[in-house]
Amino acid sequence: MDIIEMKNIKKDYPLGETIVHALRGVDLSVEEGGFISIIGPSGSGKTTLLNIIGCIDTATEGSVKIADEDITALDDKKLTNIRLFKVGFIFQTFNLIPVLNLLENVEFPLLLMKDKSWSRTDIRARAEKCIDDVGLKDFMEHRPAELSGGQRQRVAIARALVTKPQIVLADEPTANLDSETGANILKLMKHLNETENVTFVFSTHDPDVLQYASQVIKIKDGAIVEKAGSERQSRSRQAKGKSAGRGVKGGSRPKGRI
Amino acid sequence: MGIIPKIAWRNIQRHRGKSLVIGIILFLGALIMTIGNGVISGMEKGLRENIMNRFTGQIVIVSSNQVEDNVIFTPMGKDVEVITGYDKIKKVLEGRDYIDRFMPAAKGLTLILNENGDLGYSLVLGVRFEDYQKMFLHNVQLVEGAYLKNDDRGILISSGNRTRIFDEQGFWLVPRGRGVNEKNLPPEELKRRDSLDVRESLVLMGGSMENTSRDLKVDVKGIVRYEYLDEFWKNFSIMDIESFREAFQYVTASDSLVKISSEKQKILESDNLDNLFGDTLVEKAVTTGKRYDITGLIGKKVVQKRLDVDSGAYSLVFVKLKDAGRIGKSLEDLNAKLKAAGAEARAVSWKAAVGQLADMAMIMRGVATGFVLLIFFVAIIIIMNTLSMAALERVSEIGMMRAVGAQKSFIAKMFFAETAMISFIFGGAGILAGIGAVHLLDLLNITTDNHVLVLLFGGNVFRPGLDFIDILIGIVELVTVTAIATVYPLKVARGITPLDAIMRD
Repeated sequence: MDIIEMKNIKKDYPLGETIVHALRGVDLSVEEGGFISIIGPSGSGKTTLLNIIGCIDTATEGSVKIADEDITALDDKKLTNIRLFKVGFIFQTFNLIPVLNLLENVEFPLLLMKDKSWSRTDIRARAEKCIDDVGLKDFMEHRPAELSGGQRQRVAIARALVTKPQIVLADEPTANLDSETGANILKLMKHLNETENVTFVFSTHDPDVLQYASQVIKIKDGAIVEKAGSERQSRSRQAKGKSAGRGVKGGSRPKGRI
Repeated sequence: MGIIPKIAWRNIQRHRGKSLVIGIILFLGALIMTIGNGVISGMEKGLRENIMNRFTGQIVIVSSNQVEDNVIFTPMGKDVEVITGYDKIKKVLEGRDYIDRFMPAAKGLTLILNENGDLGYSLVLGVRFEDYQKMFLHNVQLVEGAYLKNDDRGILISSGNRTRIFDEQGFWLVPRGRGVNEKNLPPEELKRRDSLDVRESLVLMGGSMENTSRDLKVDVKGIVRYEYLDEFWKNFSIMDIESFREAFQYVTASDSLVKISSEKQKILESDNLDNLFGDTLVEKAVTTGKRYDITGLIGKKVVQKRLDVDSGAYSLVFVKLKDAGRIGKSLEDLNAKLKAAGAEARAVSWKAAVGQLADMAMIMRGVATGFVLLIFFVAIIIIMNTLSMAALERVSEIGMMRAVGAQKSFIAKMFFAETAMISFIFGGAGILAGIGAVHLLDLLNITTDNHVLVLLFGGNVFRPGLDFIDILIGIVELVTVTAIATVYPLKVARGITPLDAIMRD
């Protein structure tokens, strides 16, 4: 099943009297459980593509379906809900709430969900598990300013995964990290992709990423110019025969491929 | 603690500088507003209590022919219409259990005649003085001479009037038989004491639009001042009601004793009185050269039996209620009852009756309120600007919150919670400090004779005060300022998108 379906996506930005064509008719389908890397030079449209998938930006033309829901014409409130319930974000610059400690930062999206079936204890337990998963159990009471860049990015990953989203989008998650830390972050993301069966879509300049990605999408001048690696990933997944929980409270979903 | 208050509180601590700027503005605004409210409230209360308790009562009854309700400070001393049929009014008033007491009076502007041709004037109240003092809490205080008794003839000149008359007409009034009290003479006049023109009586002529007045010589009985609001009432001298009626040609109590035969009545009712004075009626008087004993004639005028003073005319009736808070309902009832009784009179509130003075109080309140509003306006602008800047500085943080699923309403609540907390802490402190300052000012017992300050104080003593309702109004004002000041920054914060945060990064 395709978790992301994009058809003829165009995105134009007015810049004074000229119009910048950031995306020029992109078609893209992503199956559940993939670990997709979008690569391309600066200004090629990677971030714009991620923003549209993540309901942060809207397309000028074309249609987008996220988890079978057409988001093309949704209002701000509904787009926000999709971001909350279906998509997790990892930003280049970590973007944690500076006044909350690590645990509170990770709890934050769960508190926004206002799901009555989640008690305060459930929320805390879920947040603690995610923090434990990213290896920061001993830093729960620390504020973002007290953590290193790598640690902050781990917190961002934990926060992105805490709501058990169907998709996690990461815009150059290793760009501000040293190579060793960046590699560790990628390993962690890959591990979570496999254990939590979450679809990861991330943009990067890092050539090392290619060894982790199930598919690499190369984008240039607002158009997809190359797709590679889907078969490898698909075979690998089928061989491993993994499955993982779905939805906020659990469940399962079939393995996917690109 | 919920996530919103938690973030808000920690943000306040994180952005201490901005929080402090907004907080200090709110503190000062709330402080000044509370003190201002205390002063205004004290002024209103002072004026209300002083005027109602010491000058007019809560209700004033005037003739139904009286066009304007403002009967006390009428422009240029304009006439107040005479009330006819006071007996009916009295009956209505006596039958109302919500009325504490009442007293009739007459008010007018008298000219002060002087043999050198200079004309002066004085506002005069005609009353039974002992009743007046009882009604108005002995507000009239003696400076020189003696008080009037109920049946005495004479005038009590206010010291303010005495000074003005001296300045305008050049003579110094003293109570009959008391001589000059040098302590009360202006210092420069004391040096010319020997050449001072001292008088013990005045020749007054009631000023009326109908030219029905007459001149009347009245002895000065005493020099007085008003204990409260003397600055405003000092132009009023007080004379006995019968002298007043004579000066203004009202029907006096003596007049009401005169029995007129039916023939004379017919003549008085005749349309053409001139015919009565035709040539044939004029007869040359035969004089014997014997002089009349004038004192004998005056003696004949003395009414032997006790007068019913209420049988004469009045122009006002001051009414005090048992419950000063029932003015509106009492007015309604009184007017209905007066109408039903066929009394040609209507009841008006003290505020309407004192006209200008109540208006001035309102103007002072308006000025004070305007000042408070100006402070608030400035505060709103500064707070709005500071908060907007704060919102723009936090684009990354707010945009990220929006990216991970925070609705616009969450951002608005978070931002409002921050401002509300600052407002509660600093504004609350400002209100408490204001309450303390008002209490302190009250304890200082500041007194004044200054014309403007007397009005601002609502009396001669500065008695600012805050009721629960004033404090409540203060809180409402603070909440309003906070709410208004937050509207634009909230709009800015709500308008921040995740994309803004990404672009900022």
